[in-house]
Amino acid sequence: MPTAIPVYDLGRVPYREALAFQRRAVEMRARDEAPDTLYIVEHDPVLTVGRSGHPENLRAGEQELRRRGVDVVPVERGGDVTYHGPGQIVGYPIVSLGSLPGGRDLHRYLRDLEQALIDCLGAFGLSAGRNPPYTGVWVGEKKVAAIGVAVRHWVAFHGFALNVDPDLSHFDLIHPCGIRHLGVASMASLLGQAPPREAVLARLAAAFSRVWDRPVEYPAALETLASATLQPLTSHV
Amino acid sequence: MPVTVVVPQLGESVVEGTIGKWLKKVGDSIAKDEPIVEIITDKINIELPAPSPGTLGQILVPEGAVAQVGDPLGVILAAGESLPSGGAAAAPASGAKQPAASSAGAREPAASRPAASPQPSAPAPAMSGAAASRPSAGTSTMGTATATAPSTDGMRLSPAVRKLAKEHNLDVSQIRGSGMGGRVTREDVLAYVEAGTVAATARVGTMAPPSAQPSMQPSAPRPLAPIPAPSFSAPGSREVEVRPLTNVRKRIAENMLRSRHNAAHCSTWDEVDMTALVELRGRLKEKVKTQYGLNLTYMPFIVRAVTRALKEFPVLNASMTETEIHYKKYYSIGIAVHRDQGLIVPVVHDADGKTIVQLAAEIEDLGKRARAEKLTLDDIQGGTFTITNAGMFGATASTPIINYPEAAILGVHLIQERAVVRDHRVVVRWMMTLVVSFDHRLVDGTPAVMFLHRVKELLEDPESWLLDSI
Repeated sequence: MPTAIPVYDLGRVPYREALAFQRRAVEMRARDEAPDTLYIVEHDPVLTVGRSGHPENLRAGEQELRRRGVDVVPVERGGDVTYHGPGQIVGYPIVSLGSLPGGRDLHRYLRDLEQALIDCLGAFGLSAGRNPPYTGVWVGEKKVAAIGVAVRHWVAFHGFALNVDPDLSHFDLIHPCGIRHLGVASMASLLGQAPPREAVLARLAAAFSRVWDRPVEYPAALETLASATLQPLTSHV
Repeated sequence: MPVTVVVPQLGESVVEGTIGKWLKKVGDSIAKDEPIVEIITDKINIELPAPSPGTLGQILVPEGAVAQVGDPLGVILAAGESLPSGGAAAAPASGAKQPAASSAGAREPAASRPAASPQPSAPAPAMSGAAASRPSAGTSTMGTATATAPSTDGMRLSPAVRKLAKEHNLDVSQIRGSGMGGRVTREDVLAYVEAGTVAATARVGTMAPPSAQPSMQPSAPRPLAPIPAPSFSAPGSREVEVRPLTNVRKRIAENMLRSRHNAAHCSTWDEVDMTALVELRGRLKEKVKTQYGLNLTYMPFIVRAVTRALKEFPVLNASMTETEIHYKKYYSIGIAVHRDQGLIVPVVHDADGKTIVQLAAEIEDLGKRARAEKLTLDDIQGGTFTITNAGMFGATASTPIINYPEAAILGVHLIQERAVVRDHRVVVRWMMTLVVSFDHRLVDGTPAVMFLHRVKELLEDPESWLLDSI
């Protein structure tokens, strides 16, 4: 029986701390000191700029953004500019690609992330899909979930941001992922009301379990988290 | 020989990638498997690990340029090597799916890679047991591959197949090709290698059973008659039930050992006369039950006594790093909770600012949620000191393990009537043994003993201080 992938909901975590945490978790996974894991967080408003990032996709200047309390962080994931903020479910699967059914196949991994998000949205009656060539999950012409991934030692990190009920006006700060002609939506804007976060996470875990053909355990008891993994997170608690 | 880093196979539909960032500059030294360059495809950025150690000799594709799968990106030089004239003559280093393992196996001298063999557990007899003309996959990594590799010249083979055959030291003419015109494919080679390995293993099995110790056989004396073994056949007599470790158990084990390894454990104890508190709690119990619906235990009183004493002996509420002591100015008390799943320590945050009833409510709630696995991250983090109650199950004393990196832990035990001496007379009092285990690196014996004595004083005379706590 394949080992279960625990889903830990870490709640609101400052972006930079979560980033340090992820980098540490990758090393631990690569050394087999931690299992494949899906970490769920929520961030304060932040703009992250991926490796394909173009500064012109920031609509406000960096100084201006910082003055408004929005951090701008360059990161190693693929993709352009992404907004994170309250009301999103941000998922960081720290998984060894070799342990997934798709193996060490980068595009397959992206498609699997998309499929899980599509299935999850489907469980709420939303007909979501892909919009090639743009990675991400879309309902009609509007993007509901963004994806950006990095791989180190063949362990994936970064991941996806699903708009459950964020303040959509915050996306005006950027051209999401550099795509200027398409819009952004949230589950709340599409359904008329926001589903409970726990319900979304439960559906998401079920969807990942199907896509990855592994048990996905949500919610995983937090005390099973290796305490060493948590070190970078403790400073804000 | 210089090793060329190439764009590896990154997925079925991935034919090319953009060079994101060179993480190493020419001349930088590189450890094996260290990320050296980023390749971006779609929304994934992968850091390519170095196939071998050395220094980065040359960058062939600059940042921002697009490279196809299989394209050379750069050259790694081993110690003492220099770039070959012409620059691009280095051997390609990518394996289709395992760039690191395959290239290292083929090129380095055996002595320099003690742990590189992918089958370190293969028994030595496998060498002699395997047919010489069909070495198993295990033998191909023994460092002789390049010396004895049969020639594949003259055969129609793809570069990948040629390379694979060379890696496994195979004579391709022995392999039946399933490709067009009998051409040998990658799958043919892999199947052949697998069959060879299986055959070799099977033959070893018949020649030398795993339990035999060949090196001892020549000189070993003729064995005596075996001593009759006890019969294990009686049902249940020696039964062992094997269960996998749960994650909770793994974490508990980790944490306990971390504490034992890092802290200098020392324990001291004292006898506490709980008679006054037993009476006080007896008077309040019913009221708290009817008014708040809570079971009033001794724990809230003990927590309050502890936070008061911690303020007087701050080092017991501290923790240490290699260079610093962190004195915490808040008092968040962890309370060890027994559960069937395993021990857990939820935390009452800022316990010094809470009333006895608040503490009773919070402790009860944490215990319930701990057993139901409903604790949040906040509930189990940020403690500064821990209390564990071994008395709940009848223990009269124990030496608890510190909840590292905290400085100390208090063990509370069974409250029982004992005969004690007061004013030269033997009387019956409600007594409890109180133990503090402390990290002797950080906490000297004196403050530990004085802290414990202070907790004892507070518990023995609760009415003197509880008025400002309720």
